[in-house]
Amino acid sequence: MTITADGLAPTISLDGVRKARGNLTQARIRWMILALVLGFGAVGGRLVQLGMAETDTTIEGQTRDAITATRPPILDRNGLEMAVDIRVPSLYAEPRRIIDIEEAVTKLRTVLPDLDETWLRNRLTGDKGFVWLKRELTPAVEEQVMRLGIPGIDFITESKRFYPAMNEASHVLGSTNVDNQGIAGIERHMDAESIALLQELGLARGNALTPVELSIDMRVQHVLHDQLTDAMTRYQAIAAAGAMIDIYTGEIIALASLPDFNPNDPASALVKDTFNRVTSGIFEPGSIFKTVTLAGALDSGMVGITDEFDARYGVRFGRYTIDDFHGKHRILSLPEVYKYSSNIGTIRIMQAMGKDNYRAFLSRMKFDERVQFELPEMRVPSVPKELSEVGAATASFGHGLSVSPLHMLTAYAAFVNGGNYIAPTLYKRSVADAEPLYERVIQPQTSAYMRYLMRLNAISTGGSGSQMNKAAQGYRVGGKTGTAEKVVDGRYSSNKVTNFFASAFPLDNPRYALVIMVDEPKAENPQSGTTAGWNAGTLTGRVVQRVAPMLGIAPDFQGLLDQQIVPPEVRRIFPEGY
Amino acid sequence: MIRRFNIFLICTSIVMLVGVYMLKFSIEGTAAERTALQIHISEQEDDLTTLKADWAVLNQPAYVEPIVRRHEAELGVSQVQQEQFGSFADLPMRPAKPDTAAMDALFLAIDAGVDPIDAILELEGIE
Repeated sequence: MTITADGLAPTISLDGVRKARGNLTQARIRWMILALVLGFGAVGGRLVQLGMAETDTTIEGQTRDAITATRPPILDRNGLEMAVDIRVPSLYAEPRRIIDIEEAVTKLRTVLPDLDETWLRNRLTGDKGFVWLKRELTPAVEEQVMRLGIPGIDFITESKRFYPAMNEASHVLGSTNVDNQGIAGIERHMDAESIALLQELGLARGNALTPVELSIDMRVQHVLHDQLTDAMTRYQAIAAAGAMIDIYTGEIIALASLPDFNPNDPASALVKDTFNRVTSGIFEPGSIFKTVTLAGALDSGMVGITDEFDARYGVRFGRYTIDDFHGKHRILSLPEVYKYSSNIGTIRIMQAMGKDNYRAFLSRMKFDERVQFELPEMRVPSVPKELSEVGAATASFGHGLSVSPLHMLTAYAAFVNGGNYIAPTLYKRSVADAEPLYERVIQPQTSAYMRYLMRLNAISTGGSGSQMNKAAQGYRVGGKTGTAEKVVDGRYSSNKVTNFFASAFPLDNPRYALVIMVDEPKAENPQSGTTAGWNAGTLTGRVVQRVAPMLGIAPDFQGLLDQQIVPPEVRRIFPEGY
Repeated sequence: MIRRFNIFLICTSIVMLVGVYMLKFSIEGTAAERTALQIHISEQEDDLTTLKADWAVLNQPAYVEPIVRRHEAELGVSQVQQEQFGSFADLPMRPAKPDTAAMDALFLAIDAGVDPIDAILELEGIE
């Protein structure tokens, strides 16, 4: 009989304790590795996810920083603010986070009713991360909108330019656009210089920018603007403008042109006729140009201060005869030609000098190029390249050529400061800084003659500046009137005129030159006229009367100071000097 | 031995954990405080720019002149005339010796109840 193992139970094998523990440990290690792999995998996956996500820092093409970029404050020469930055809230939306668009539109329009409903709905619809709704609001509106509690609507603080003087220095300052970039005036010039670069580099942040100091004196600017505004109504003029310069440094102390605009509301600059007449308007200067002719002729040595000129008959050129407005029709000495503003005398003086010399002198005075100046609003003057006999004759009394009032201002400054041309500036400049830029255009002796002639015109009986001197008694102002007839339908019109008065003060030791322009004035009352002495002249007098004390000029009634500037040669023909 | 060491390690790690969490929360608190302060500063800077702008407006000659014009009559002010300016050179020199006779006359007049200065002031309409 065979014993089989069939009936027996299978063999039981038991692991030893050590082996069993070993197996268990291995399993645990596997689980652990799995857990770790999953854990690190999760971390790695999250990192990749974060790396892929793009952060939305763009605000409609700009970085957030750029819109809060600041501009340096602009100060006048005494440190008074002319332009400052204020921070204002601007409303924006994040359409992708807005839940109920209809609700948002209705609610927003309760606070900002001027927003168009469909425009707003389109603006808020979509998946954009950022859209502007309304920029440069007031803190009160910000408060109201925040109280509405609409999700996805928020405010951001922006810098906005503010001009505390409103209209007063509008043409000097210019204005900035909603992105705080200069679009006109000195603001634009500053951008061209450096600010734009600073903003781009990210340096123009916060309020740490060094203030820009201008040459403008706001007190003088105010008086000038105030008097020009008064002139607009007093003479029912269509425009009035004026500028004052420090003759030794070339600093523009005041510059105003009416009609003007409010730089806080740049849209007002788009209104017709608000252009800067001092720099970008060119006009036939009329008789104030006789000063240029006389200065050139005296400086050439071809004409002496006591020379006499035949002004008995008009000057004939073919069919045309040029005659005098206030005709004396006798032989006039040079001071009398200036005093009576004789066209005939001026032509004779120019002819004594020679028309080519005269044209060369105009170039030397920079009358055929733009004045080198900071404002971008400039126009090239129109002066013929070659002067014909007639052309030179009309040019000698300021017709047939057009220059800007700024040209006249710099020319007058050079005539009275000892004969040095200095390009005007709107930035503060000391005499020491200005001296290397001097360009000699006439001799100091000629400059002394010009001072005498200008003062003579103001105080001598019959002088065209006597209207001006009435108001500015004691401040030793002197200057020249200019009444330029406007061209209407191809011919000179006698009732539409542009009037100028160019002057300097105090002429015993001149410091400031001033040019005033009144466009198309009417007579103030039946007793007065429309020529320059009545409007531009008296206006100059009133301006000087108010600004001279501010500029530290003491009045003097002795007449001794006036006598000091009389050239000794003149005493031969006018023993009393005037 | 090992058991005690483990217990020590567990206790230490719990203490460290609590410490780290406390540090984290305190830092978060400080950061929140800092942010709040920064917002406050920036708000105040914003207000400051507005105040500075206000100050600049108030200082403008264009703002001051209308006020002066409004009160011209009440205050009796008007534009300065050239004749109102003087210089030190215009002042007479001090007399070499005091004018005793005039002084005596003045004091006698005041004693008698007549004040010449008062009379001038009354004449000018001052007082």
